[in-house]
Amino acid sequence: MSQDSLYDQAADAYGASLDRLARAYELDPEALRDLLQDIHLHLWRSFAYFDQRCSLRTWVYRIAHNVATGHVIRQRRVRERLVSIEDIESMPGSDQGELAASQSEALERLSTLIQRLKPLDRQIIVSYLEGMDASSVGEITGLSPANVAMKVHRIKNVLRRWFGEGELHAK
Amino acid sequence: MPSKFPMHDPQNIWQSQTTEPFKMSTTQLRLRAQQNQKKARLKAQFSIVIGLVLFVLFARTFAKGGDVVPRMGLGLISLWCLYFAYQAYRWIWPGRLAPDAPLNATIKSYRSALEKRRDYARHIWRKSGLTFCFLGLALVVVPGLIQSIDHPGLLTNFVPIFVLLTLWFVAFFFISRRDRRKLQREIGELRAFETENQG
Repeated sequence: MSQDSLYDQAADAYGASLDRLARAYELDPEALRDLLQDIHLHLWRSFAYFDQRCSLRTWVYRIAHNVATGHVIRQRRVRERLVSIEDIESMPGSDQGELAASQSEALERLSTLIQRLKPLDRQIIVSYLEGMDASSVGEITGLSPANVAMKVHRIKNVLRRWFGEGELHAK
Repeated sequence: MPSKFPMHDPQNIWQSQTTEPFKMSTTQLRLRAQQNQKKARLKAQFSIVIGLVLFVLFARTFAKGGDVVPRMGLGLISLWCLYFAYQAYRWIWPGRLAPDAPLNATIKSYRSALEKRRDYARHIWRKSGLTFCFLGLALVVVPGLIQSIDHPGLLTNFVPIFVLLTLWFVAFFFISRRDRRKLQREIGELRAFETENQG
């Protein structure tokens, strides 16, 4: 498969996920557009080297997260304020108390939480929110499934506090 | 059972957010690549030109003659300007994408990026050649200071700049040390995760 057709395939299959992923790293609309274009550009370039050592999905997410993480690392002031999911979990009163009144408020609340996280935790929470299982997240991040499971457990705890006890994952 | 309140289910909230269909054509991708390359080249060229212009200015003053010690300082500063231009070319000039870059898991890629930051902060004096720049400045300024001992009024003129310079040094030292520690701690955490995964 050629570089261009691989890119087309990836953009068709994961375009919406990549858009959401970029929003997890950048809120400013103009910078977000730039970041998204950079992710697509790196993706397209990378397909010149795609050797199917991993699945297309893993490849796409690795590149997207790597580019987006680079974007965060370059913003020193932003980077210095980031915390881990463990820090948020142990912060007393870090939960939002009341339940969100609307879908947009809930999304804003979720974005606020994600924007506070360090890149690795951000990668895991985004993957979790995209509905990936622990082994897929492990393949993308390089963490062991046990570590991913531990992180996801903490993420769920925090989300439960932020989005209302009992409502989270009733499914 | 699906949640009765979709707005309280974070996965649902996340996945149902409005996204714009985004895909770039091959022409757009090539154009974007060219734009990025052009931007990085302009940035590099600007720094190189600044370095070369300063080199010429200091070298001219050096060539004009005068006392030996300040001249040595000017020579050192002009050489540092050349070095600055070379470093700008080396670090800012756009390179190619490393063939194995996408193969790296995100944790490894993240750690490498942090290690690069840490190493840069650790060796900033050596890598940027700032030691030579400050040595040159000292050689230019100190003889003037010694001469002005007999004229205390002249010496007081230098006080504000020395106070500012000292404050800058202290702030630079403490901030960079704190940054390095934070980076090192995070690198250590990431390494521990990676080791655990290999084990």
